[in-house]
Amino acid sequence: MSRRKEWALNILGIVFVLIFLFPVYWMIITAFKSQSEIFQSTPTFWPKDFQLTSFIDIFKDNVGQYFLNSFMIAGLATILVLVLAVPSAYGLARFNVRGKNPMILLFLVTQMLPATVILTPLFIVFNNFHLLNTYWGPVLTCATLGVPFSVLILRTFFLGIPKELEEAASIDGCGRFKTFIRVIVPISYPSIVVCGAISFFFSWGDLIFSMTFNRNQDLWPLTAGIYNAIGRYGIEWNDLMAFATVSVLPVIVIFIILQKQLVKGLVSGSIK
Amino acid sequence: MKKFPNRWGEYLFIYPAVIFMLLLIGYPLIYNIILSFQDVDLSSLASGDKHFVGFDNYKALAQEDGFGISVWNTIVYTLGSVIFQVVIGFLLAMFFSMKFRLASFLRGVVMISWLIPLTITALLYKFMMGSGEGIFNQMLMSIGFIDDPIQWLSNPDIALWSVIIANIWVGIPFNMLLLSTGLSNLPEDVYESASLDGANWFQKLTRITIPLLRPVLLVVLMLGFIYTFKVFDLVFVMTGGGPINSTEVLSTIAYRLSFNEFEFSIGAAAANILFFILLIVSVIYLIMINKDEEA
Repeated sequence: MSRRKEWALNILGIVFVLIFLFPVYWMIITAFKSQSEIFQSTPTFWPKDFQLTSFIDIFKDNVGQYFLNSFMIAGLATILVLVLAVPSAYGLARFNVRGKNPMILLFLVTQMLPATVILTPLFIVFNNFHLLNTYWGPVLTCATLGVPFSVLILRTFFLGIPKELEEAASIDGCGRFKTFIRVIVPISYPSIVVCGAISFFFSWGDLIFSMTFNRNQDLWPLTAGIYNAIGRYGIEWNDLMAFATVSVLPVIVIFIILQKQLVKGLVSGSIK
Repeated sequence: MKKFPNRWGEYLFIYPAVIFMLLLIGYPLIYNIILSFQDVDLSSLASGDKHFVGFDNYKALAQEDGFGISVWNTIVYTLGSVIFQVVIGFLLAMFFSMKFRLASFLRGVVMISWLIPLTITALLYKFMMGSGEGIFNQMLMSIGFIDDPIQWLSNPDIALWSVIIANIWVGIPFNMLLLSTGLSNLPEDVYESASLDGANWFQKLTRITIPLLRPVLLVVLMLGFIYTFKVFDLVFVMTGGGPINSTEVLSTIAYRLSFNEFEFSIGAAAANILFFILLIVSVIYLIMINKDEEA
């Protein structure tokens, strides 16, 4: 490729990404603007008067609690996903059990189901088990998003590990479970982290489960809090955008740290 | 050294996740079908009187205000979103497949729009599509493209397309990523010999790239359809189904019936119709990828 073409492509690429991600930029800078600046007829692309009042406002309005709830729900769901999915994926990759293909099919199909289908029955079931208005409703249901995805990604990964590794370990007297914990899990660490991160994102973004199973505001995650705030804040866009910025921050931080692995993992999980 | 009895050990690895999914997805799914043939609302939920009513709920649903339009809207929303996502995603995948220095970095950064919680994306677009203070109208008016602000979300003729625009933005990176992977797996020597034969850019695209990419394109289209068809968050937060049902989709109407009007059974019937359509598409998809693996 000629030098000039290389330059042109890089610049074109950067310009495209800047335009494409403009909404994210707009969200963040609006959070620092004053109300009057937002309603000016000519938009400002950098806050004239850089202020933090919106962030102070929203933290007075329980955002700290919502943030903690989001972390609890997404964190617990992620742990649950990994505890269930990692051994299952390993078993489906290595063992020749009966009904293996139907089980893989089950995970493929459950990934495609709409949440609305399970919402009403689970509302009734959770009501009977007194699980409404606890963390467990959203935690259990959010985990159903991550489990199939992780099983499918990790199974593909485990299929690629040479069997000799486990055979060596079993000669050393390790049982199947010990081999799994001591040998397989450590070498699969990067893939497991990717599945964890993606499950975390799925749960972090959930609105419908928390909103349905928890009427108690003290248990709401950021998404439910922000949905509720839309009505109350009206057109106080700076406060709403501050709220949105706080909600997106952890996702962006995790994404920056894991970018390369995440992109790879997403591709292998969706195609295979 | 005592080992697990052979089979039991293996089942212990695999089954917990399977049982978990059966309990939290499989069971509710069947329950939901039963529910749609019973008469359950808030009062019968408390009293426990759930008698079967045949297809009454489906009949009631058909007469429900906004049900017909919600089916239509779901289809328009899905096709509109998927077509644009795939076309734009494909063009971008082609662009980023030229191996310039920043290509893979930039392609990765774009993923941010896919990772942002949909509730936040919906709120952000609601803000940008505001009629007076929204940046979309401000920009379009300042370049003289329009004279009067567009009522993005309050005009019933436009609102659905406004939500589609937001959804296209969300979906582009994912489509691009899958198509990029497909492109990078295409054999290079075919292109080389085509170049030797004097094929131009457009001929290579239509005669080589698209035919070779057909299996990947089909997978992307089907996955796009499946994931878009069950849309809830974007519509729910941006418009709530309004104005006057103009953006109502199957999942929002199912939710409204169950959890605003507490007509659990009619809501279940609506969710089942959504499920049934998705099931058919999923089965087609699964048969397709199975064939692919055999080929």
